[in-house]
Amino acid sequence: MNSNLSDPAFWSRFQFGFTLTYHYLFPQLTMGLAWFLVYWKWRALKTGDEKYNDAVRFWAKIFGLNFAVGVVTGIPMEFQFGTNWAGFSRYAGGVIGQTLAMEGMFAFFLESAFVGALIWGEKRLGPRHHFLAAVGVALGSWLSGYFILVTNAFMQHPVGYKVEADGLLGISSLSLYLLNPWAWVEFAHNQMAALVTGSFVVTAVGAFYALRQVHSNQSRLYLRAGTCAGLIASLLVAFPTGDQQAKMVGRHQPVSLAAMEGKFQGGSLAGVAMIGQPNVAARRLENPIEVPGALSFLAYGTFQSYVHGLDEYPVDAWPDNVELLYYSFHLMITLGSIFIVLMAYANFQSWRGRLQSSTWLLWVLMLAFPFPYIANTVGWMTAELGRQPWLAYGLFHTRDGYSKVVSNGNTIFTLIGFIGLYFVLGLLFLFLIGREIAHGPDEEAAIDSRAEVITAGAKEQLA
Amino acid sequence: MIATWYVIVSLMLIIYVVLDGRNFGAGMLHAVVAKTPEERRQVIAAIGPLWSWHEVWLVGFGGTLVAVFPKLMASAFAGYYLALFLILWCLILRGVSIEVGGHINDRLWQAYWDFVFVFSNFLLAVLFGAAAGNVARGVPLDANGDFSMAFFTNFSVRGQVGLLDWYTVSVAIFAFVLLAAHGGTYLVLKTEGPVHDRSATYARYLWLAVVPLFGAISLESWVVRPDLPGRAIYNPLCWLGLLVVIASTTTLISGLRTGRELRAFLASNFLLAGLLITGGAAIFPVMLYSTLSPQDSLTAYAVAASHKSLLIASIWWPIGFALATTYFVFISRRYAGKVSVKRDNQGFY
Repeated sequence: MNSNLSDPAFWSRFQFGFTLTYHYLFPQLTMGLAWFLVYWKWRALKTGDEKYNDAVRFWAKIFGLNFAVGVVTGIPMEFQFGTNWAGFSRYAGGVIGQTLAMEGMFAFFLESAFVGALIWGEKRLGPRHHFLAAVGVALGSWLSGYFILVTNAFMQHPVGYKVEADGLLGISSLSLYLLNPWAWVEFAHNQMAALVTGSFVVTAVGAFYALRQVHSNQSRLYLRAGTCAGLIASLLVAFPTGDQQAKMVGRHQPVSLAAMEGKFQGGSLAGVAMIGQPNVAARRLENPIEVPGALSFLAYGTFQSYVHGLDEYPVDAWPDNVELLYYSFHLMITLGSIFIVLMAYANFQSWRGRLQSSTWLLWVLMLAFPFPYIANTVGWMTAELGRQPWLAYGLFHTRDGYSKVVSNGNTIFTLIGFIGLYFVLGLLFLFLIGREIAHGPDEEAAIDSRAEVITAGAKEQLA
Repeated sequence: MIATWYVIVSLMLIIYVVLDGRNFGAGMLHAVVAKTPEERRQVIAAIGPLWSWHEVWLVGFGGTLVAVFPKLMASAFAGYYLALFLILWCLILRGVSIEVGGHINDRLWQAYWDFVFVFSNFLLAVLFGAAAGNVARGVPLDANGDFSMAFFTNFSVRGQVGLLDWYTVSVAIFAFVLLAAHGGTYLVLKTEGPVHDRSATYARYLWLAVVPLFGAISLESWVVRPDLPGRAIYNPLCWLGLLVVIASTTTLISGLRTGRELRAFLASNFLLAGLLITGGAAIFPVMLYSTLSPQDSLTAYAVAASHKSLLIASIWWPIGFALATTYFVFISRRYAGKVSVKRDNQGFY
């Protein structure tokens, strides 16, 4: 990143990066958790077992808080396209505006029409419609993800556009634009990553209750669903989706791939660095420990494949912060690998029936939930830093995109405002979520509905 | 084609104002019509589950604006920079206060969030009013179609204007009273008991106050933009808007008189819509008027996206709108009738 502190583009990037990174902490859980709610609601309909409804009621509260923060932090994102990136909006608005508008029309309306019903409306809706509300919310949140990722995919790999007479972009084919191959791969990769976050959070709460020996029925439910979905999602996020994403970068943004890997010199039998620190001035990776040939194989399919190095490109075509890009990518890969191992082991213990009793594993699962958030964040940093110095890859430079009429004074003012507001919002969110989790799921509903058939003694046991 | 899209984008904004306007209004009246904690929960429950659904119309509007009028979006959003962020921050506070206020059953906690709720709704009504005033008055657009505006300059309506001047402040006051009356009418429809009775009293007085303010605003607008009426009388949509205003005013009066709450509230919605239709039609085709030199004003024709982009948007937009309407019918049916705190509240402890 060009960190010249009087550069307006820097401050607009800083603000957008900050508000977007913060915002995305919430939708990734929304998108991950939504399908857990659908699953439990469906099980409740099928089996009539109240424990599933108890789980939905509890998680719907967490979902609701998380959704609300996601909505309020998301609305500024849409407007910042115009406020801070007027140059880009003027240039590409005719194309990216299509998906920004479609996200509103097709996804947000669906999602927010039903989210109130999902959280507050169980008594008004009845079980079947309540289930449908859960499906509506889940579909809406994933659809919204798709439209936004199409927008991002256009910035990564522009397709379906044409340059109009006035030099601005217009859309030439909606289907090409919406079915951008980059968007499909990115969507699959990103949604699996959101599921990883959802699974780890559900698992962590299950582990927390198991360790405290409270809510044992609910705890078992969360651990089972969380670890099972967690393993599947952790595997899918690496293969095939992450793998395909890397190949896509290798094909269309070879210079970004070189920077992600800290490859200053090109060559065949290129290795993947497990450890190493890039020294951009000296153009080398220091203290590297490499797996030879792995990069050639992963990016292009054979060990002999030639991988381009940064040296083959002029410096002004390099991503403008090679170091941060390198670390983001490596952190993502490392965390992703750990997730697979952890979830595989948890499932193995679960299969042997020993998950509830392996105290140290429960501790690890309980404490692991922040790491998918980190992995998602650094994954997005990899995508966005790797795209630099372009705003729309190969078409439009980031330095041309910011709003010329907005002074640094204004941008820094709003940035400070966002930092203050979001800090308070974060404290509030953690406090309330912590309180909900400490309170735990209400299992009284279950007791009430069975009260006719069970004796007072059994009632005490359940409680 | 471009005129059609002007109508569509205006329609989305009108729907947003009508839907979220009731929340701003009810949110402001919250301070005076609800006296006990239970009564306050009643007001929140009347807004409760649907506020985010109303708010996404603003997002839908913003997104559609980028798609069909990208150059306007670029110019206006960058120019209104600080005002827009103030609105966004108030929207954040408003949403958060609804969501978290209900989570803890504690006097202090709820008192605090009730205050934030009222305050942010008040600011939103005033800011949106000032924004509407700015659109009517114009902004200091230069020949490149750019402008940047301070909060205030010398409170005059010509030349290098600021966000606030005597005209935009009066529109803000008008919006405040109008939305409070709208929200009051909504609370009458949705609540029972003392909140209902107090809301009815407030709504009556507020609607009475709207009448002289409306006269004043019309006169002021004529002073600020003497060029508008001459063009507006040839625009049929302007007449349609006025017709809607007159019809809904009559209905509103009869609804309030006879205590037909649904009729009064529907009329209130149409009254707001009618006012906005008249205003939107009167300024067309100019979307941003330049107070520096009128020939630099941005018209819908100058800021529209390419013909192909508009054509493509005309294919999917009606589908999206039809779906949104379907959800609206479904949700409105489910939430018809008075709210009950017991049934519609979040379970707090």
